[in-house]
Amino acid sequence: MTEPLLVVEKLAMAYRQSRRRLPVLAEVAFQAAEGEFLCLVGPSGCGKTTLLRLIAGLERPEAGGVYLAGVPMDRPRRRVGFLFQEPRLMAWRTVAANVALPLEISGTPRVEVARRVQSLLDWVGLAGFAAAYPAQLSGGMAQRVALARALVYDPQLLLLDEPFGALDALTRERMAQELLRIWQARRKTVVMVTHSVPEAVLLADRVLVLGPRPASVVAEVNVGLPRPRGEAVLETPAFAALARRVRQALDDAV
Amino acid sequence: MNGSKSEYEQERARRGAMHWGWILFSFVASLIAWQGVVWLGGYPPFILPGPLLVLERLAELVADGSLWFHTWVTLREVLAGLGLGTLVATILGYGLAHSSVAERLLSPYIVASQSVPIVAIAPLLVIWFGAGMLSKVLVCALIVFFPILVNTVVGVRSVGRELRDLMQVLEANRWQMLWLLEVPAALPVLLGGLKVGATLAVIGAVVGEFVASDRGLGYLLKQGQQLYDTSLVFVGIAVLVVLAQTIYGTVVLLERLFLRWREA
Ligand SMILES: Nc1ncnc2c1ncn2[C@@H]1O[C@H](COP(=O)(O)OP(=O)(O)O)[C@@H](O)[C@H]1O
Ligand SMILES: [Mg+2]
Repeated sequence: MTEPLLVVEKLAMAYRQSRRRLPVLAEVAFQAAEGEFLCLVGPSGCGKTTLLRLIAGLERPEAGGVYLAGVPMDRPRRRVGFLFQEPRLMAWRTVAANVALPLEISGTPRVEVARRVQSLLDWVGLAGFAAAYPAQLSGGMAQRVALARALVYDPQLLLLDEPFGALDALTRERMAQELLRIWQARRKTVVMVTHSVPEAVLLADRVLVLGPRPASVVAEVNVGLPRPRGEAVLETPAFAALARRVRQALDDAV
Repeated sequence: MNGSKSEYEQERARRGAMHWGWILFSFVASLIAWQGVVWLGGYPPFILPGPLLVLERLAELVADGSLWFHTWVTLREVLAGLGLGTLVATILGYGLAHSSVAERLLSPYIVASQSVPIVAIAPLLVIWFGAGMLSKVLVCALIVFFPILVNTVVGVRSVGRELRDLMQVLEANRWQMLWLLEVPAALPVLLGGLKVGATLAVIGAVVGEFVASDRGLGYLLKQGQQLYDTSLVFVGIAVLVVLAQTIYGTVVLLERLFLRWREA
């Protein structure tokens, strides 16, 4: 077997608030192969966001470490794309300029920036909104812009933190399908946090279940469903069985 | 949709025209009322000159070039003072916003300095820096310093952790953090401070010129007072109003230019 792209090694972490210590992660360990789609589910407040922030190098662990293609993520690195729970767009930049931001920071030549931004906006179906400002977008559109921004610099690893959590159910399903389509075309390695069990089973190769705080991986469900997975897969007995297993593991964890 | 938008813009333009119409109307009406008061009251010109007399005095000052000269002197002081005050206040404000130690150390002095009236400091500045342009520039700079400092701190502090995290993930360096995030995010608040500063700066220049000077609009006012040339005082006041409004309007234009995204 080839070396995994992402290695999370016995990660422990605690927040410190005015002398009080709040342990959030206890020995979280897992790996992700190149091109693999991992979903993390766990009770709310168990430390999922914290885990993603650690992987991105935004927080420092008390113990353990994160390695991306062998490189320690002891600080933020551009090889990671992070899609936060909210779009986090810059209100003063147009849609196109928001998507261009990572390339501007890395000093990519202008022509190349324009080409890539255009192609990403086409991908997420927002080509007609290049000149719009974030305030003019719906929640779903804004999150698609944020997705385009996270993909535009072609990061090795994509971290998604409940990216569709703030959207209504219908938009949410459409976004999941869209994400699936983009992932199938680009085969990025993805670690995604979600609180929707069906969403996890639909998208993931593997679902990791985290226990309550301080969290550790308490169960792992391999989703062997064939790809491409359309809406139809949601109705199959295999899908239902997998969803039940994840749900069971979640219930056992609490 | 296009049709309704242009209709909306037409409506807006119509309202704008009406707005200006009203301003013009009230201006002319007040001039007439003013002249009426002078006629009815029979006041001598050194108490209350009529608008015609003031206009005449204005024409004289324009003709001999002295109005441009004094206006230009004051404008230069205002712009230099506003520039200097803004520069120092934004740099210091940026530092204070990022360092709570610096803030705790300096803010008592900064706040205390605000309770000293500027008229009390102006003579000191004249003693130290002479009766020339420099002392006026410094008075202007001092008077605009505080509002711009406060707005800089508020503006920079308003940049949330959300966007800072994003910039960090993208490995933005300090300069990129400043130019791509902090400056544009703080700009609305900063320009708000500049608007306040712009009007204050004009006051600062006049105060400085009152204390000691041989030129500038403040000097004209003082001369008018000493010679009982009340028309001259009125001209000076009118020009100061126009000057302050012009500078204020320029900042508003800058706002429109830089903050176009807010109108979207
Ligand atoms: N910056 C922080 N400082 C202190 N405590 C925090 C901070 N961020 C999160 N926490 C706490 O850590 C715990 C885990 O948070 P989080 O990782 O956001 O959980 P999840 O994403 O699983 O809901 C929560 O109890 C939260 O209140
Ligand atoms: Mg979270």
